[in-house]
Amino acid sequence: MRRIQIVSRVAAGVLGGWSFTWGFVVLGIALLLAAGMPYADAQTLLYLVAFLVYLVVFCWSFAAASTARVWLVLFGGGAAMTGLGWWMTRLPAT
Amino acid sequence: MFPTFRLSMTWLHTWFGLVLGYVLIVVFFFGSLSVFDREIDRWAIPETRFAPQPMSSFDTMLAPIFARMTPEADELQAAAKRVRGPLPATLVPMNWGAYTTHRDPVLSLYAEYAVPNNPDDPDDHVHGHVTIDPRNGRLLPDDRLKIGSEFFYPMHYGLNLTWKDLGYWIVGFAALVMLAALVSGVVIHRRIFRELFTFRPRKHVQRSTLDLHNLTGVVALPFHFMFALTGLTVFASIYLPVSETLLKPQAMAAAMADAKAKGLPFKPAGVQAPLASVDAMVVEAKRRWAARGMPGEVGYLYVNHVGDRNSYVTLYRAGSDRVTLVGQPIHFEGTSGRVLLEEPPPSAVAGVNDFLTGLHLQHFEHWLLRWFYVFGGLSGCLCIATGFIFFVEKRKRQHAKAGTGGARWADAVAVATVTGMLVATLAILVANRLLPAEMAQRGDWEKASFWGAWVIAAVHALWRSAPVRDARLSPAWAEQCGAIAALAFAAVALNWITTGDHLVRTLGERFWPVAGLDLALLVAGAIAAMAAVALRRRAGVAVAETGAAAPDDAETANA
Repeated sequence: MRRIQIVSRVAAGVLGGWSFTWGFVVLGIALLLAAGMPYADAQTLLYLVAFLVYLVVFCWSFAAASTARVWLVLFGGGAAMTGLGWWMTRLPAT
Repeated sequence: MFPTFRLSMTWLHTWFGLVLGYVLIVVFFFGSLSVFDREIDRWAIPETRFAPQPMSSFDTMLAPIFARMTPEADELQAAAKRVRGPLPATLVPMNWGAYTTHRDPVLSLYAEYAVPNNPDDPDDHVHGHVTIDPRNGRLLPDDRLKIGSEFFYPMHYGLNLTWKDLGYWIVGFAALVMLAALVSGVVIHRRIFRELFTFRPRKHVQRSTLDLHNLTGVVALPFHFMFALTGLTVFASIYLPVSETLLKPQAMAAAMADAKAKGLPFKPAGVQAPLASVDAMVVEAKRRWAARGMPGEVGYLYVNHVGDRNSYVTLYRAGSDRVTLVGQPIHFEGTSGRVLLEEPPPSAVAGVNDFLTGLHLQHFEHWLLRWFYVFGGLSGCLCIATGFIFFVEKRKRQHAKAGTGGARWADAVAVATVTGMLVATLAILVANRLLPAEMAQRGDWEKASFWGAWVIAAVHALWRSAPVRDARLSPAWAEQCGAIAALAFAAVALNWITTGDHLVRTLGERFWPVAGLDLALLVAGAIAAMAAVALRRRAGVAVAETGAAAPDDAETANA
């Protein structure tokens, strides 16, 4: 294993995992708000599952075959979910 | 990167476990001590060795003390730099709070004071703190360090590294790694049930260490998983601050709507008005809690908008009779004393969260369960420490042959964290009994003795680590175990000499906060002394046998 490969994999797992979790929480809260749940409950519920999500993607990032895929899924997924959640909360209330 | 899933989990377990294990063992150990933080405070502050007291009368005792309180000098100095023009000579109090638990003989009061002339932050404020003896209202000297609740407990969740919340982030990441280490550990070992009953102390060190590592990991697996997870959820708003950033508009709107629905005054009216009897409010709150089938004492008393027409008083129930951390707060109008709002039971989601938070923070009164928490935490320490030893045992012969220093450094840092941490913990207790009572900044000197002892232990661990390079045992383990035993016995003796509270007296009076800590120190000292003797004997044997032992089954090679 080359050193750069390990550094890349660890960074993807730790930082990418955090980004993915962040996006998951933002999108999750946005979806629950859209479904009519009060903000405090939506936030608490997402916080309760957030670290289980982080745990799963963190472990997966070391089991995955390709480091590039880990970067793409975790940072790409995190950014996509954050963007989608942000867009949903900016929609006019119906 | 790895040919199989199992190998990837082994890599994760080994390397993250080693590096973050050095942090995790600190978190587990000081978490275990924090279960009895209030009791450690009693040992460290002999003036407070008396029975826990209920919340004092606000009208006759607390109100005059609150009125005399002043902001902390260091906070005023910092605030002076934030404001435009000079800071007003006296700051007006905004809010007052008083907090106690079923284990507190002393009562902590705090006040918040408005800083009016900060152009950047209209809500800027500073704090004042006092601790009183609730039996007579006497103030305790404010330079007495509450070693349990103000030093060991913050060590558990933030390593006492407050700069930019760095300690919280390190501990949080370590908690995530703990979860990952548990998952990967189960993947590696598979025969999870058999591990529970496997300990072969007579086999060679590498085998018996791994047995003990697996046993302690598995026996308290649900405990470790729940504590790492709930530790993260308790501070989730620090690690994932969505409500202060991306979703701030939604969070603010929800908070405003909530305040409006509750009808509690968000801001002061700016008109002075006297406060009605708070003692009468306490009587009414207790009546209402009893009517809901949960009679109890006031744990937390909070006066909002002190001295203003919009003031209101919030009373929270002490949560000593259940796991879940609910306060059943009742809000009273300050000027009239009538009930403004009795908060409804929490929603389903909040109820689950309150339960998990309460499970971690254990405010309940159940001494046996508290001891289970201590043993659960210590089994985590044992699991991590045996993990370090296994790491070193597995590699030290290879490294000795190859002439690389990896095992040596891992072992030296393990000594510095495992035994060095205990040396530091005992050093602060010994310093607490040795430093003169009237010394200025006494608490800072106590903290300095903790960090100083830890640095000395770390230097000693590095200095004595050379034998590991030749696949032998570092003498630092035995030497620091000897130091632990000496310090533990010295702490008990010094407590006796300086306060007269020896075990015969404290046990006779059943004063468990002091008797319990003294007994724990004696047990820890005895174990450390036995460990020191055993390690010395083993060092002698190991020299004769170097190279004879080898891994005896496939699993050892795999782990």
